[in-house]
Amino acid sequence: MEFNRGDSGSNLQSEINITPLVDVVLVLLIIFMVIVPLLMQGYDVDIPKSTNAAPAQSQESRLILIISATTCGIVKPSVGEGLPTDCRVILGDQKIAATELPARVGDILGSRPPEKRVLFLAADDRLNYEGVLRILDLAKSGVEDLKVEFITAN
Amino acid sequence: MRLGESAKMQASINVTPLVDVVLVLLIIFMVMAPQMRKGPEVRLPKTEKPSQQGDERGRILVSIDEGGRLWVNDKQVAAEQFGDALRAAVAAESDPKVVIRGDAKLNFRQVRLAMQAVEQAGFRGVGLIAKGRNAGTRGE
Repeated sequence: MEFNRGDSGSNLQSEINITPLVDVVLVLLIIFMVIVPLLMQGYDVDIPKSTNAAPAQSQESRLILIISATTCGIVKPSVGEGLPTDCRVILGDQKIAATELPARVGDILGSRPPEKRVLFLAADDRLNYEGVLRILDLAKSGVEDLKVEFITAN
Repeated sequence: MRLGESAKMQASINVTPLVDVVLVLLIIFMVMAPQMRKGPEVRLPKTEKPSQQGDERGRILVSIDEGGRLWVNDKQVAAEQFGDALRAAVAAESDPKVVIRGDAKLNFRQVRLAMQAVEQAGFRGVGLIAKGRNAGTRGE
């Protein structure tokens, strides 16, 4: 009898408990099923009407960021991270280094009420799209609730 | 002794087939996940901190691949028909919002022309899709 009991006890111990494994796999499955329509990340921008001659804001309070191909060498597809160090952009009427952009945009627009924080962005056609987005990212990181108007007219 | 042991074995539920099925389902989902996306494969621009844009449902996905070819949702369209395709897609959605998935290698000109077409289709805004530095493999 005693031998018998001991035998059945050790028999139970020798079985692998797969219930936690099943739990983990089921949870993984549910995670994958939920993530299939994956979330997107990006930047909301406005497109002002190309035919609209009258701007919503008066001329002097508009802040325009111009990225030209001659001052910022992001013509070729970038291979690494970030922007070239010699990239310069024109903010308002000043030529500044792209790395100064968050601070300068914050200085100029930070004091305005959130609904008036508008940045007009004009980029050269020859520029690389990824580079333009990286500059947009820099500008957006300078101040919260920044609205970006992408000037798309020729 | 043998009889008692076999009765005990019968009493426990055999979960091995369940585990098999679930594992196979898991593998199927892992394989299918990248292919269930609408539109072509696009290498999205990598930036520092893009904001959340929600998921793809209810959005009109405009994709521009490496060669500058235009896609509206999962259909490739010629540049001349892009406006019409966009308007057709707008009509099909109840609350449409347009997002542009442009390839990182594109010239800004191609994206600008697409944005112009989106504006002419009656949209004030558009989402430019990028990939955060710490994001997953999406879009690659």
